[in-house]
Amino acid sequence: MQIELMHQPGNTAAKIILAENEICTTEAGAMIATSNNMDVTTTTHKKQSRGILKAAKRLLSGESFFINHFEPKGGPGELWLGANLAGDMMTYDLDNESLIVQGGSFVACEHQVEIDLGWQGFKSLFSGESIFWLNLKGNGKVLLNSFGAIYPIEVDGEMIVDSGHIVAFNETLDFSITKAGKSWLHSFLGGEGLVCKFEGKGTVWCQSHNPGSFGSSLTSGLKPRKA
Amino acid sequence: MNYKIVLTGKLLDDTSLEGAIESLATMFRIPSEKAEKTFARAPITIKKSVDEATGKKYKMALAKKGIECTLEVLEQRVLAEDVVQPDTSVTASVQNEQLVEGVATDSPISSVAAVSPENTANSQHEEFKHDNADPLLGYQFQFEGRPDYGFVTVKIPADETLKVEASAMATMDTNIKMKTKLGGGFSRFLTGESLFINEYTAEGGQGEVGIAPASPGDIGHMFLNDETIYLQNSAYVASTAGVEVETKWQGLTKGFFSGENLFLIRCKGKGDLWFNTYGAMIELDVDDGYVVDTGNIVAFTEGLEYSISKVGGYKSLFFSGEGFVCRFSGKGKIWLQTRGVDAFASWVHPFRPVKNKG
Repeated sequence: MQIELMHQPGNTAAKIILAENEICTTEAGAMIATSNNMDVTTTTHKKQSRGILKAAKRLLSGESFFINHFEPKGGPGELWLGANLAGDMMTYDLDNESLIVQGGSFVACEHQVEIDLGWQGFKSLFSGESIFWLNLKGNGKVLLNSFGAIYPIEVDGEMIVDSGHIVAFNETLDFSITKAGKSWLHSFLGGEGLVCKFEGKGTVWCQSHNPGSFGSSLTSGLKPRKA
Repeated sequence: MNYKIVLTGKLLDDTSLEGAIESLATMFRIPSEKAEKTFARAPITIKKSVDEATGKKYKMALAKKGIECTLEVLEQRVLAEDVVQPDTSVTASVQNEQLVEGVATDSPISSVAAVSPENTANSQHEEFKHDNADPLLGYQFQFEGRPDYGFVTVKIPADETLKVEASAMATMDTNIKMKTKLGGGFSRFLTGESLFINEYTAEGGQGEVGIAPASPGDIGHMFLNDETIYLQNSAYVASTAGVEVETKWQGLTKGFFSGENLFLIRCKGKGDLWFNTYGAMIELDVDDGYVVDTGNIVAFTEGLEYSISKVGGYKSLFFSGEGFVCRFSGKGKIWLQTRGVDAFASWVHPFRPVKNKG
């Protein structure tokens, strides 16, 4: 699987070239276009491995229940992927390790990478953000997107990041949910709510903009919905 | 940043010199003796002051004909610095002298004159026009803010008319008169394109219109030479009078079931056509069909047959998040956009305030 990022950084799309019988697993709705010979299947679990329980877990974790598998037939195939928000993308090569990815940032990965959707390291409920987390394990390429620019922070020691700005981080890092200000009151009034404190050695990839904040800023200008 | 295109004189893929001269002559519409002379002088600048995209286009077009050329940065900024700081390095000033000479005397070696005399005769023309595949056809126009926030300024010749998507006009000269017309006829209502096409006529002299498409993204141009192109309804930006713009009724299955308002506008005839995208623009040459999400289609050429179908099985139809896709078959060109308006709208949906009951 070869990944080529185009039109970076604002309007990034990924062009993926798959050899015959290579399978690319993508987030639902990420496809822009594919070559004609692409076979698409939608599953609730990793292909060829039954996991109704896992799927149910995924549903509970608030993540889209379904993922797509693209497999070219009778020769190599092309696949274009994009995100729905403006921003950049990055690739990461997993080398027998784990990467924790913010659910909305996941775009695609190689088939052999295991996607664990029930990762509950942060209790989403507590962090106040409606985000969920994926744990990508194993070997293979991973494609992630961000809202705005994407930048790595090498953590050696301690670092505090707002949870809405996290794209992904190495599992080698320890983390805890904490308050940004001195007191809980200050934290909430300051709009930061809860933040994530990383400890140890590893990399955190951040996005320059927080999708939740952007969405909230639109709220007042939108017509009310019924439910 | 501006670039110049330099003909290296090398030929690719066993192209014969005669063949290359012939191609160059037809491409730039010059007599073959002139093209031969140009080759004899290689390496030679055949075009200067072009933006990167245009430069690459030329380079590719020439490479297709087996003619190698390179893109070099035109260092205009150094020139400005040189005036302020007289003690710039020797190499820089030598370069500047060459540049100044080229500009001031129109020396045939460093300018387009060697290849295309018509263009230098009207140097302003050359400066204004960008990105037109054939420099001698169509209106003069200039792109700005590409690729993220494309904007186009079109120069309308005296007493000619430009069709522009309603509400897309941002600026215009005072001698330009606007008229709203029900372009596309009644079917326009059916296509869901709420906007009408306005006609801008430059009265008594030429005038400029600045056009800003509705969505942030790239903007493209093509010159239709008795060709037909299909545009997705919101991709239309502007066209000249020779282009007939009409909506094409999709039929119930194609239009209604696609769910994503994939209505197409058919543009045919002779003239300029500008179209825009939401997000970046991807141009694909299709040989053996392609599958595109309906929300990401911008335009495609006539040679392609298309049908709306589901992406995989029925499970994929409802749960893949792709809904319906457009399955193209045949040979032609497709333009895609990297973002979808509908996808963004559904992303925004959860942020809408909830209506209070009672």
